[in-house]
Amino acid sequence: MKGRRHLVGIGAVLVLAAACGDSEEAAGDTSSITLYTCVNDTTIAPVIKTFEKANQDTSVKLFRAPTGDLNARIAGDVRSGGLRADLIWACDPLTMQDYVKQDLVGGWTPKTSISSKYRTDDYVGVALLYMVAVSGKGVPPPKSWSDLAGSAYDGGVAVPDPGVAASALGALGYFANNGDYGTGFYAALRKNGAEQVATPDDVVTGVAEGTYDAGITIANSAYAAKENGSPIEVTWPDPGAVAIYGPVALAKDTKNTEAAKSFITYVASRKGQEQIGKSGSYPTLDGMASPPKPADAPVVFPDWPELSADKDALLAKYQKIFGG
Amino acid sequence: MGSSATGPPRLREPSLPAALLVGLTAVLVVLLPLAKMVRTAYTEGSGGFGAVLTRPGLGEAVGNSLLLSLAVTALAVPIGAALALTLRRPDLPGRTLLRVGVLLPVVVPDFVLAYSWLRAYGRAGFTDDLFGVGWEGISGPVGVTAVVAVNAVPVAYIVAAVGLAARAEPALERAARAAGAGALTVVRTVTLPLMRPALATAAMLVFVLTLGTFAIPLVLGSPAGFATVTTRIYANLARSSDPAAFVEAILLALLLVVVAVAVVAPADLLLGSRLRVTRTSTTDPGPTRSGSNRSGWWVTAAVTGYLLMAVVVPLVALMTTALTTAVGLPPVPENWTLRHFDAVLTVRNSEALSRSLMLAVAAASLLLLLGGCVAALERSRFGRATGTLVTLTFVLPGSTLAVGLLLTYGQWLGDTLLIILLAYLAKLWAFAHRPVSGALDRLPPDEFAAARVSGASVLDAIRTVVLRPLAPALLAAWLVCFLTALHEVTMSSLLYGPGNETLAVVVLNSAELGQVGQTAALSVLLTLMLLVPAGLCWWGIRRLEVRRTSGSSFEVIDVR
Repeated sequence: MKGRRHLVGIGAVLVLAAACGDSEEAAGDTSSITLYTCVNDTTIAPVIKTFEKANQDTSVKLFRAPTGDLNARIAGDVRSGGLRADLIWACDPLTMQDYVKQDLVGGWTPKTSISSKYRTDDYVGVALLYMVAVSGKGVPPPKSWSDLAGSAYDGGVAVPDPGVAASALGALGYFANNGDYGTGFYAALRKNGAEQVATPDDVVTGVAEGTYDAGITIANSAYAAKENGSPIEVTWPDPGAVAIYGPVALAKDTKNTEAAKSFITYVASRKGQEQIGKSGSYPTLDGMASPPKPADAPVVFPDWPELSADKDALLAKYQKIFGG
Repeated sequence: MGSSATGPPRLREPSLPAALLVGLTAVLVVLLPLAKMVRTAYTEGSGGFGAVLTRPGLGEAVGNSLLLSLAVTALAVPIGAALALTLRRPDLPGRTLLRVGVLLPVVVPDFVLAYSWLRAYGRAGFTDDLFGVGWEGISGPVGVTAVVAVNAVPVAYIVAAVGLAARAEPALERAARAAGAGALTVVRTVTLPLMRPALATAAMLVFVLTLGTFAIPLVLGSPAGFATVTTRIYANLARSSDPAAFVEAILLALLLVVVAVAVVAPADLLLGSRLRVTRTSTTDPGPTRSGSNRSGWWVTAAVTGYLLMAVVVPLVALMTTALTTAVGLPPVPENWTLRHFDAVLTVRNSEALSRSLMLAVAAASLLLLLGGCVAALERSRFGRATGTLVTLTFVLPGSTLAVGLLLTYGQWLGDTLLIILLAYLAKLWAFAHRPVSGALDRLPPDEFAAARVSGASVLDAIRTVVLRPLAPALLAAWLVCFLTALHEVTMSSLLYGPGNETLAVVVLNSAELGQVGQTAALSVLLTLMLLVPAGLCWWGIRRLEVRRTSGSSFEVIDVR
């Protein structure tokens, strides 16, 4: 009968699809590790390549997605048989701290000369994001962050959504805890006509296209657009660009501990840091080549443990100001 | 489980296997994932529904979602119906092109449509640069409504056109005309009442589609602080390294499902029986010219104007972005480059694309079978219930549905393409089912039986009597599913596995670091690429139609 044939046909398609999926990852040998990361493709691809070149017996399988998607994926993993990664390279310490809290990662870090301000017992920061200001054609670049709430920028300032971008949350945390700014800074921005867009990249696009006068965004994104010829200026306003470090950590349940450790050791090493700097991200190790950074550019650091504690309250306060 | 007493025994024979297939798949892709989500919310949500439901801003988001859905339905369904009515006039100048044009928004991924509208009409956009006319309201509720409506019009159009082809009575219309009624009076008194069930189906589909829409509110709504339930779900899901946020995302998604059930189930119950009318086979030449050619030109001008505003200008804006060296430079020849196209056309990307193509073809083909089965079973209560059931996963935002599938099958199917396929089946089943359902009663009920009695095998009878007249609706449904699956980003970006990258991954990779030019180039390539199979399908439908009008007893099929 017709229907039975259909069933057989569907069965065949399903088996075929399953086979297609499996064939690629059936390797399952001990020297293959799975990396979950939010680091952009421009950086992660060459870093993996050089690691694999130096460690011929280890192959790295990559799941790369923006922080939000990565979080959703891991939440799904955890509730269906456990985390399927051997290591995680996150883009901010808050997200990583949440994974430590859930006992998914941590408990080991490699020997490294990276500064202790980027390290805890559970993870080590290997790359940095700097929240800087970007301004458009015919608009004076801001000297300090508070300038953005002034009349020179009442044509619109783009603010990345801290509910979506961890870097934006880091900036929110810094400003909220800085006595001169506080969440009142965001209220003043909003009053001045500032709008919230999803990601720091959207900020760069919006400012370059002239939709906004200026915006708060990450340095690599802004410099990459400028390098391509976009009519924007990048500034590191006072008291400083907000630095957010991206930590890497070992999964608690990994079955390939040694291979995973060797990858972490590599990215925290001088060689790995050099490669990260060459691939469009800022390394955490001092004195490495990196994307543009003005000499003596001021840099400030959020208080991560404190921010981790009152993140929800802070986000709620922010959302009252910007809606969404 | 076969045909109930209300109908003639036309599809009785294949109905048991069909019911088994439909039942099994519904359990796998709809019920189990939903059950798993409910369980997760129940076991982990110690604070419970109460705490989530009283969260500040939730009421506003729910209100926004409902208002948006109502507004979009009120806009898209009349426009879709009007297009279906006008485009069936055989003497309409440029009809062929217009019919393809109406479907263009389906070809363009929704987030691309939103972005291209922003480029076309927003501050410092296309019209602002050229004529100094920028529309500030594009970012905000009005802009969101407009773009979601444009995105939904093709769906309304397809359902309305299918219904029109199935139900319109050209003889009645001519009789009314002969009796002295004006063209508008005929539409109002004869055609529209006949289309009512199809319009109700279209309204329901558009309403639910809008409830679950996410990319457009994110791009155009968020800057103005306009939140919907889907953007809240996204924000929660994005913070789901915190278990509380994850559970809240699931609860909100379930809330959407409840709202969808509240709307769809009564509608299905009420309309279920009314949707099915029988019609006898007639020899009817179909609709004829309904006015002077001058009015035809006016209609063509109006439809062309709509298409220009809604689709063409935004796509041109997108094209200039793809061709301009860097974001923000004026789109003049000295700034033109093919660099972005170059950067997008890599081996890795084409592998991802071929995976997505394979997935989309498999999904669309399976969906057609599944949708057809549900439609065929709709005379029975089981069939109608399934019809409602598959709408539940249709309303879930892609990200939540993907998480539901991860929760259910991640352990066994994680990182395979199969889990993405299941996600597509769950998300698009209603898309395949509703148009087919709307077209099914064009089948003269006795012909299947007649064919069988005359000695045709079941297969032959289905091929010659069932598939032929349904072909346009089936092809339209296949095409919509194929296109939607191909450029789907949210689900596959969560579900893909290492070494199994799909097109979504490519899109996301290029969207980061502000590579707007590359994203635009990718969208332009995708649009062009999709126009080819779409064109082929359209050509196929046309051939079928020509063959039928020249040799069979069916009326002109008016569906593209």
